[in-house]
Amino acid sequence: MHQSFLIYRRARYLKLSLGLMILSLAAYIADARLEQPNGGTWLGYTLGTIGALLIFWLLWFGVRKRKYRSGSGMVSGWLSGHVYLGIALLLVATLHCAFQFGWNLHTLAYTLMVLVILSGFYGVFAYIYFPSRLMDNGGGLSDEAMLTEIAELDGECLAVADKIGDKAHQTMLRSIESTVIGGGLWQQLTATSPRRVQMEAAESKLIDLRNELEEEHTRVMRTLTSLRVQAQIQQQAQQPANPEGSDRTTLFMVDQLAATGSGDKVLAVRQLLDLLSRKKALTARLQRAVQYQALLRFWLIVHVPLSIALLAALLAHIVAVFIYW
Amino acid sequence: MNTKIAIVGAGPGGLSAAARAAELGVSHVLLEAAPHLANTIFLYQKGKHVMAEPNLLPLRSPLAFTAGSREQVLQAWENGAQQLGVTHRLGAEVKAIAGERGNFSLTLTSGEIVNAECVVLAIGLQGNLRKMGVPGENLPFIQYQLDDPDEFAGETIVVVGAGDAAIENALALAAQNSVTIINRRDEFSRAKEGNLNGILRAIKDETLQCLYNSSPTQVVVTPTDGEGDGKPCELYLSTAEGEARIPCDRIIARLGATPARQFVESCGIRFPNDSPNAVPAVSAQYESNVPGLYIIGALAGYPLIKQAMNQGHEVVEFILGNPVEPADEPLLREKFKPILEGRSVDQMLDLIKTTIPLFESLTTLQLREFMLDSDILKPAPGAVIFRRNDYSDTFFSVLDGEVNIQANPDAPEQTISLHAGQFFGEMTLISGRRRNSTVLAGPDCVLIVTPRRSMLKLINSVEAVQRLIDEVFLIRAIRAQMAPDISDEDLAEVARTALIERHETGQALFHEGDVGDSLYMIRRGSVTVSRDIGGRDVVLSYLAAGNYVGEMSLLSNIPRSATVRATVATETIRLDGEPFKALMKRHPTVFMALQKTARERAASGAKAQQSEREGGDVISFLVKQGLGEATDVLLIDETLCVHCDNCEKACAETHKGTSRLDRKAGPSFASVHVPTSCRHCEHPHCMKDCPPDAIHRAPNGEVFIADNCIGCGNCERNCPYGVIRMAYVENKRRSGMLSWLLFGLGTAPGQDLSATAHHDPGAAKKAIKCDMCKDLSGGPACVRACPTGAAIRVSPEEFMVLTR
Repeated sequence: MHQSFLIYRRARYLKLSLGLMILSLAAYIADARLEQPNGGTWLGYTLGTIGALLIFWLLWFGVRKRKYRSGSGMVSGWLSGHVYLGIALLLVATLHCAFQFGWNLHTLAYTLMVLVILSGFYGVFAYIYFPSRLMDNGGGLSDEAMLTEIAELDGECLAVADKIGDKAHQTMLRSIESTVIGGGLWQQLTATSPRRVQMEAAESKLIDLRNELEEEHTRVMRTLTSLRVQAQIQQQAQQPANPEGSDRTTLFMVDQLAATGSGDKVLAVRQLLDLLSRKKALTARLQRAVQYQALLRFWLIVHVPLSIALLAALLAHIVAVFIYW
Repeated sequence: MNTKIAIVGAGPGGLSAAARAAELGVSHVLLEAAPHLANTIFLYQKGKHVMAEPNLLPLRSPLAFTAGSREQVLQAWENGAQQLGVTHRLGAEVKAIAGERGNFSLTLTSGEIVNAECVVLAIGLQGNLRKMGVPGENLPFIQYQLDDPDEFAGETIVVVGAGDAAIENALALAAQNSVTIINRRDEFSRAKEGNLNGILRAIKDETLQCLYNSSPTQVVVTPTDGEGDGKPCELYLSTAEGEARIPCDRIIARLGATPARQFVESCGIRFPNDSPNAVPAVSAQYESNVPGLYIIGALAGYPLIKQAMNQGHEVVEFILGNPVEPADEPLLREKFKPILEGRSVDQMLDLIKTTIPLFESLTTLQLREFMLDSDILKPAPGAVIFRRNDYSDTFFSVLDGEVNIQANPDAPEQTISLHAGQFFGEMTLISGRRRNSTVLAGPDCVLIVTPRRSMLKLINSVEAVQRLIDEVFLIRAIRAQMAPDISDEDLAEVARTALIERHETGQALFHEGDVGDSLYMIRRGSVTVSRDIGGRDVVLSYLAAGNYVGEMSLLSNIPRSATVRATVATETIRLDGEPFKALMKRHPTVFMALQKTARERAASGAKAQQSEREGGDVISFLVKQGLGEATDVLLIDETLCVHCDNCEKACAETHKGTSRLDRKAGPSFASVHVPTSCRHCEHPHCMKDCPPDAIHRAPNGEVFIADNCIGCGNCERNCPYGVIRMAYVENKRRSGMLSWLLFGLGTAPGQDLSATAHHDPGAAKKAIKCDMCKDLSGGPACVRACPTGAAIRVSPEEFMVLTR
């Protein structure tokens, strides 16, 4: 139901671009039989003019994209043309310079152009590849929704940690405080940050705590059972004489031990570990979403400034050519 | 207590009536249940701007009223009431009204009785807040409303109730207080999903406490020697485990309101029908069917402040027997100017009533109001009234001359003529869809053009109007869809046995395998057709209003071959099989038309079954998102979307710096994402309750909010899709793009200015929504600005086909 910019209006710009490339190549081959190919021949000037006009038009895309009230076609059509005619430009400009390179201003302009086009290639790849990745990774959850859920998990973690004790609380707090998503460009692109280290540290501390508590719990339970057995024996022995039972102290101790809640604590730590692993998975997912979005976008930081540099170099190239004609 | 006029309700209408009575020195009493005059406006948030629509209508009241802040308006009324010496009693809730003209007795909840010669009922439509109904329910610690939860901190508060209001209050209060919520049942079944999740999470996190299966038994002031924990009051509850006692600082009971209608009916006043929108009919003097009992303001169907104030003034004059020219007389005279020809306004109204049978049963007041909303149109012969496929939604009555309808687009020379007394435009009114024919003016044509809202109001308040329109609709719909050349007499039997049926969202008209031969014409809403394939309900197609279903079984007498389900609240006309078969026997063309449809549908159904199942799943998903009632919806293909937000930027840039679209929000299924953006519904929920009637549909289908929006927020609340926002809308100065591009000066194109810009403190928030860029050539900016082709706007019919 939707139509990608690559096939906009039955790929009319692909056809246009192919036509331009074939025409340029044919003219170049035909001309090469008559004279030495050079930027200064008639064909060289023609190709150069076409190339320069193309560059101006391609640069205008940045303006058209932001003219939101403009009635001149769809931006997806403009992008389609931008991509295909940008590819054609590579050939047109190469034929214009007739493969003559050197350490000069002209080759600088050419190099800049190639870099811009190459970064554009990456852009096309990114626009085709990453949207689906992002979609699969998100699974219907937006970034904001993931962030909210992480914050909620943090809240739950703290609430559960409070039940366990100060140590667990501190550990969780440190883990939460050091959860960083995104960060600098490099961290976004590579999806690395100190967060994972911290969360793993918290996790291993919790595992230690759980082991400790489990040991304590087993110990308590063992004592509890033996006390209960003792109490029962005593009760049975005293029953005929004293029906109410005089082992109040023992029963009190049993209650006290049960109330230390070491069993609850073990459960709480387990719950905390579950929460933490859920948070870990979610954080990783969000991190990946940030990464994909960075990969979708960072190339523009190269593409746009280089194209401005290209414009400057191109103008210098044209002026130079006309002055030293 | 004895008085000449008892006025119930101290809103704008009641206050104005009391003020007029005081001005004339007539004995009166103004009874108000709340502790403030003009309580509804008093409860507005601080500084809220109150508007004075309709601008054209002159104010006629001893009290001043101009648009301004809540404080200014209240102050003006307070001063006016004091200066004029209005007798009012606050906290005086009227429980019952009995008696007749000259001898009414009003019983207050305190048990006191007020005697009056006449009663003016100006209680509005909101009804009374329901109280706890236990001893101590009126103690000062209990409140039945909460305006600002942030007012309280560090208190122990009990919230009673399980509805949305109770949940929202409890959650908000829990931030700074210790809160317990009391639920009579064992779950929160009435709450919206968001609130339900919120409260359950809060209970789990122990940010607040909940007592289920508990109901209050009494509230007491903490005895000085008791164990009240220093709290001023105690709430006693009966719970499943026995009696419980909660010492607390405050009880907030949110138990909803008893609708005004119950009370009004208990006074002997009749409503025309059971519709929740129905209002009681009143005479030109605002007198109800109970002589001496007058009704003004919102309860009589006039929701605007100025209308109510004028009526308050006038009703007192009427009671005193003073003739008053209605405030709208000059407006009507102006309106009728082109056709008045020396007649008076009253004569003109009589002429309308006698010429057009539809308006025969209207009271003079209803007709005046109706004409005030309507326009008189005198088109030149041959002029186009509306075109086929226009989205206009006005209703037309022919007052004189004739109009010609081109029903068949392929044969424009065939026309049907309508003459004085007849009406047209009811199809669009009922179905909410495009015009299905073109209408041209004939010779001497004079039309009454009525906006959709006024027409709906009339249908809801006058039963005869509804019946007449339904009858005409039925015949015309059968003719338009199946039998163009058949006379009224021939259709009579089919029409007589036809039934209008209403189906809730998701309800089936019939199931696959059912036996039945009736035919369903979809009058309003839309349906999906699905079949059970491998134990799963697979949606095969979608049909909007203006189509019929069930023809397969009618033609062949086999059981239903598919299940047909309403996607939204849908109305169908059920045509009985037998009379219809008889009709087909007499007219083979009808049979052939039905057979053709059946064949086409069978073919496309088979194709749909062969195609991937996913298409059907996507349709099911979209239907669940309410797209069955959409006319145009923004869909984003997630495999193409690069998250550049150019769509939002384009929206902000073309709409005064505030985007009306939230790309990220909204649900997704497979690769289809439905962002939060207006769907331009067939029957827009936002239009339902707009006091100044500011929401309209443009000829191309765009639902938009006009500048006379008063910022009340009703549309925002009524929209089930959350696409309307309240915002300060101002023309903000934008810098040029090139200066930004080259020198980084000013704002970037498309930057959302709503959050950053400071606004004029006197400005009012208004409702904003997508208008599909109706004023821009080339269509919606969001779609045109999408660089990858991920964003499209389509109608349901289009995407139902495209998803295949």
